[in-house]
Amino acid sequence: MNAIRIQIKASLVLAVCLAASAVSVAQDQSFEQEVVPILQQHCFSCHNSDDHKGDFALQTKSELLESGYVEPGDADGSHLLTVLRPADGKPPAMPKDSPPLTKSEIETLEKWITEGAHWPDGFVIPEPAITSTDWWSWNPIVRQEIPQLENPYSARFPLENAVDAFILSKLIEKGLEPSAPADRRVLIRRVYYDLLGLPPTPEQIEAFVESSDPMAYEHLIDDLLASPAYGERWARHWLDIVKYADTAGYDKDKLRPNAWPYRDYVIKSFNQDKPYARFVREQLAGDQLFPGTEDGILGLGFVAAGPWDFIGHVEVPETKIDGRIARYIDRDEMVTNAMNTFVSTTVQCARCHNHKFDAVTQQHYYNLQSVFAAVDKAERSYGVDPKVAARRQELESKIKESTTQLAAIQKKIEEEAGPAYTEALTKANELAAFAVLAHRDDAYGFHSAMQNATSVAQWAQVDLGESKAISEIRLHPCSDDFGGIGNGFGFPVRFKLEVSDDPEFKTATLVADQTADDYPNLGIAYYAAAKDVTGRYIRLTATKLYDRNGSPMFAMSELQALSAEGTNLALNKVVSSSTSIEAPARWARKNLTDGKWPTPKDVAKTQQWAESMVAAAQLVVNANTPERRKQTQSLTARKAAMEKELAGLPTGRMVFAAATEFKVQGSFKPTMGKPRTIKVLHRGDILQERQETQPGTIPLLEEDGVFSLDDGHTEGDRRVAFAEWVVRKDQPLTWRSIVNRIWQYHFGQGIVSTPNDLGRMGQLPTHPELLDWLALEFRDQGQSFKHLHRLILLSSTYRQSSAHHEENSQIDSSNQFLWRMNRRKLSAEEIRDSVLQVSGRLSNQMGGPGYYLFKLEHPQHSPHYEYHLHDPNDVMSHRRSVYRFIVRSQPDPFMTILDCADSSKSTPQRVETLTSIQALALLNNKFNLAMAEHFATDLMTLELPEQQRIEVAFARLAGRQPNQEESAQLAAYAREHGLANLCRVLYNLHEFVFVE
Amino acid sequence: MSDLTTTRPSTPTRREFLWNSGGGLGGIALASMLGADPLEVSAKSGALGGVLHHPPKAKRVIQLFMSGAASHLDLWDHKPWLVEHHGEPSDFGEKVELFQNGAGPWTKSYFQFRPYGESGKHLSDAVKPLGEVVDDIAFIHNLVGKTGVHSQATYLQATGFQRPGFPGMGSWISYALGSINDNLPTFVVLPDHRGYASNGPKNWGSAFLPASSQGTTIFPQRENPIENLIARAKYVTKAADQNGLQLLNRINKGYADKRPGDSRLDARIESYELAARMQLSAPEVLDITQEPACIKKMYGLENEGATYGPDINVPEEAEYFGRKCLIARRLLEKGVRFVQIWSGNDNGFPRRNWDSHEDIKRDHGPLAEGMAIGTAALIKDLKQRDMLKDTLILWTTEFGRMPSSQGSKGRDHNPFVFTNWLCGGGIRGGVTAGESDQWGFKPLDRDNPTQVYDIHATMLHLLGIDHTRLTVRNNGIDRRLTDVHGHVIEDILA
Repeated sequence: MNAIRIQIKASLVLAVCLAASAVSVAQDQSFEQEVVPILQQHCFSCHNSDDHKGDFALQTKSELLESGYVEPGDADGSHLLTVLRPADGKPPAMPKDSPPLTKSEIETLEKWITEGAHWPDGFVIPEPAITSTDWWSWNPIVRQEIPQLENPYSARFPLENAVDAFILSKLIEKGLEPSAPADRRVLIRRVYYDLLGLPPTPEQIEAFVESSDPMAYEHLIDDLLASPAYGERWARHWLDIVKYADTAGYDKDKLRPNAWPYRDYVIKSFNQDKPYARFVREQLAGDQLFPGTEDGILGLGFVAAGPWDFIGHVEVPETKIDGRIARYIDRDEMVTNAMNTFVSTTVQCARCHNHKFDAVTQQHYYNLQSVFAAVDKAERSYGVDPKVAARRQELESKIKESTTQLAAIQKKIEEEAGPAYTEALTKANELAAFAVLAHRDDAYGFHSAMQNATSVAQWAQVDLGESKAISEIRLHPCSDDFGGIGNGFGFPVRFKLEVSDDPEFKTATLVADQTADDYPNLGIAYYAAAKDVTGRYIRLTATKLYDRNGSPMFAMSELQALSAEGTNLALNKVVSSSTSIEAPARWARKNLTDGKWPTPKDVAKTQQWAESMVAAAQLVVNANTPERRKQTQSLTARKAAMEKELAGLPTGRMVFAAATEFKVQGSFKPTMGKPRTIKVLHRGDILQERQETQPGTIPLLEEDGVFSLDDGHTEGDRRVAFAEWVVRKDQPLTWRSIVNRIWQYHFGQGIVSTPNDLGRMGQLPTHPELLDWLALEFRDQGQSFKHLHRLILLSSTYRQSSAHHEENSQIDSSNQFLWRMNRRKLSAEEIRDSVLQVSGRLSNQMGGPGYYLFKLEHPQHSPHYEYHLHDPNDVMSHRRSVYRFIVRSQPDPFMTILDCADSSKSTPQRVETLTSIQALALLNNKFNLAMAEHFATDLMTLELPEQQRIEVAFARLAGRQPNQEESAQLAAYAREHGLANLCRVLYNLHEFVFVE
Repeated sequence: MSDLTTTRPSTPTRREFLWNSGGGLGGIALASMLGADPLEVSAKSGALGGVLHHPPKAKRVIQLFMSGAASHLDLWDHKPWLVEHHGEPSDFGEKVELFQNGAGPWTKSYFQFRPYGESGKHLSDAVKPLGEVVDDIAFIHNLVGKTGVHSQATYLQATGFQRPGFPGMGSWISYALGSINDNLPTFVVLPDHRGYASNGPKNWGSAFLPASSQGTTIFPQRENPIENLIARAKYVTKAADQNGLQLLNRINKGYADKRPGDSRLDARIESYELAARMQLSAPEVLDITQEPACIKKMYGLENEGATYGPDINVPEEAEYFGRKCLIARRLLEKGVRFVQIWSGNDNGFPRRNWDSHEDIKRDHGPLAEGMAIGTAALIKDLKQRDMLKDTLILWTTEFGRMPSSQGSKGRDHNPFVFTNWLCGGGIRGGVTAGESDQWGFKPLDRDNPTQVYDIHATMLHLLGIDHTRLTVRNNGIDRRLTDVHGHVIEDILA
């Protein structure tokens, strides 16, 4: 890292040089090469032109001089040095929170000040940035010669393919010896878990062990790679990296009921052995590059796989700072996910400052943000029949046409309504300022349930207790500021008011009828219907509902029934209704008669305003000629029919993915493909916007990383450009990253042991030549995972025994050079799936929505995931663990204890722990306890003597028959405590939990 | 420094074996981080003094976390100015953007404030029981947050980062200091019995630290207070359990003996022995029936087992919070390193957390009094057992609430200023460090607020750890609890 030199823009240096004498050129050079790096490293982050911490900055000459911190020519009189030098045995005051300057650094500054603190005119200290892209992983992949070597170990370690040649040459170089191959019994268990994540049955083991076919191992591998269980196992690795879960995370941790199609897509892609470049393209820009394909949409689940802040998006609009922060953090998550996953580069460091180690500036980072500037994480449809899609388009355009025609008629009518209409509107405008909300109570009112269409009539009625004389009925609308809904929220578009003595309203007196034409929404002005009428029940029927962002409903704050004396006869009377959302205090039936409603600034003027609005509306109705009415009617009818057909068209299925068009949810609104403006944010602070960005990436292949896109490019073009950069053949990170991951999953450790970081803070490759050889082999041979698996699995390297070797371990105790195979612990999923399989319970049903391992409570508001209430005998949950419904914030406690991946962060490699909590879980978790009973029941179905049953049980878990002594002990225990207890113990065997 | 993504060699060294096998191990990890020879350091904390960055003042921590954002203005931060201007239209002298746009008139505390103790610190009547111990407490009234969104704010206070994916403070401390008693978990979490706060268990997750450093949740009221502690199946008798473990150990030992050079195999056998010991100690700690009546009364448990009405009320809140405090004390006595107690669940109906948009008096009243009874009892009890001197207590929340009213009875979010307080090991009591402005809207000195990093840095400091040196590399970044920030707050140190 010392090799990284901070370079200064050459152009500036040049400009200064041209006008300078030789002496000042030398001074310039010494300033820029010796002084500036010190100031950049120790002072710049706080004392730059933006931050001025402690009212001091030194980014420009004038800042430095104005501060008075430096007296040119007088080092000891300069305050700058006072704060940098230790004094009275105390550490120096500056820099804060980081190590003090070295002695030689202080001397450099002393010399500089003593010699006059020379600062070239116009020179501005640039923010420190790494410009050198000369790093092994960024350099081109070089075609490596396969080492030609004498193999002194050919009997036990034949060179099966290039992998062995590279590995053996390194072993010999390090003075290590390869290990003998593992026996077939060990090998079959190893390769089953490796490829399928499941154990072989005792029968499969015996058949393989006893097979006389010299190609038995090759055939085994072919069979396993062809098994659908292969995709289930390997998809899980990918899902670990991309943070897949079935809930959003953050506050409320809401369900994501349509995340699973992406999970199934990953499984299918592995099983199909999809070429890697295609896999990448689909996940970044499949909608653009493969239109009309299911996978082109499903792949976009990648962008949306990570956490998402519901409150920050749905309840806080993008116009607010918190709303912007939420969307910004979400975009950061997308960029981080893409760059860590595909190119193993930690760009996220450059969100607040230039990357301290890799050649990634803030500009590059924000250029990457602009790639994702138009997409959000939301549900979108996929898999639509092309004929249906064509019909949908046709209907949509015809509906649009009729909407335009209707609007034209309406306009004509308004014109003909004449000056009275304009006058009424003008008056309304003058009064509008008084019709604003002044007070609102916590009890908002009555709220019907959401309906599928505005035409589904809904009613609410008040029982006055006895028949009474009513002279006026008033309706007070609601007000709600949730998601910017406002006044008049829920007021029906068409409605009627009736009074009757019959609670069923078989006969009734009509008090008001607004069912023929749409009634204008009049905010919080009340609606009054005066008519002397007698009756016990008052019913308000909404015949056309209010459309709340596509969810039709109606709401009303208060219904008053006034007597001739002005008494409200309905106050606190019982309310019934066709439906209701009971969510007190805000929403409840009883709120309709609780005497509380939102009031405007000026009640009288608000009513005048409403009258003007109604008058204007009435004038429009009057101007409506019968011919126009007819025309409107037929257009409306035709439009409604088309809308009905449209609604009935199969919409395809939904997947949670990157989307630019989706259903509005409160403040969460689609961009409709218009990218948000992304600027560089100083210190990552949303309030400190700096220069513009252009869609681009890190400066690898192109000098500035900026994509060449036309001015008129679409948001999709940005993602396409990014995807194409990722899969460029000459872009080295992608290919090195992916082969390293695959290698790691087979051996337990990567050639680079930091799989998400091939940068300068990552580890160096142990076998750089092998890594490059594999990268090119993979890239140029069809980008087939299965080809790569075969290469690795057929190598002698992979087939080695995992036995200890004292001399080797003296040289390489952590086995980084692979002198043997690594013994590994089973993952959480492998343990759970194996327990299900050996107990005879594993269902092989693939795909579909995730099953619950918890009881779900309160899903409407903030879901509670009650794991302790789940019944482990629920057969729905006896499927493979990859199909679990994964809760992000409240992950399954059993799986978590077993080191399952945490979907809040990218997990490129599982951590392996051994804790007493884990021991307790395997012994006592209700899942294992229930499975032990199933296991015992299953064993009883075997028509075998007791002793042999026990041996079968042992062999299913350990992969071998117990020896005589073990067998006797197991049998004795089973006789005393029963088979179920024995099965419970067997789940805890070392021999089950470890794979050789 | 340890790179967790890289340390999984197949022949574990002694260090890794100790580390992976759970309790008492962080000390070894820390020793190696500091360059000491790990083999010279015992796993027990008694020997840790030699490898800490400096001598510690505290060795245990209790964190009290009020979910939903407790109002500083109605509990701790006395504002006479608001009393004078109560009901006048609020004017902050700048545009203020609020979470629910609830900026009503200036509103004085919904509770009366009175002075307590020698320090004369004003507390509101809602937390009156804490008046008795106010001289042990150091208040910080100028904490600032970064957002008014619950989830992000909870993450920030719990993990030091606004986003998911980072270890909780308790995990860092468990990782660094390890366990005092191997028979109990190092880091215990007592969630609100009604449900989790925002982010649920992610607030105490280990993220990229070893899983052994994550918080273990205990639900004292559940049939199974600690998940998996005992086998709840009819067929598992005591004898079957014990004989089964013996059988298992025999077979596992046989396997391990044939495979030298892999210390994980022995470690796993040891983990089963440790588990058996934990099965004995844990239920004993949770059993409060033997506590004397006066102690129970002090913690508000005199009504234990009573049934309560549907409305939120003081005796119920006192019983639930007090029980957690009493269990916390018992856990600390037995050597648990870090206990986190939560008050308030997520935003459900009816409201049972501190997010009082609608009605401060209705919700804060009982929640605060219940919390204050239990907390005051805990402080007094620790003191009488001579444990307060090395037990560090932190009271915290997500953010504060506005000095203007929302509706007529509530307050909207105030991420611009709020209060934390600390007490116990190494803390100077009876002081106030950092004031808010006359309204309690922002810090008095806006350029020098206190941040969560400073609180964390101070706590690590008191535990003998330099917060800038406790780092773990994850995905190419050296991560710290305090990110790249944090200053020890000298003014509150004893």
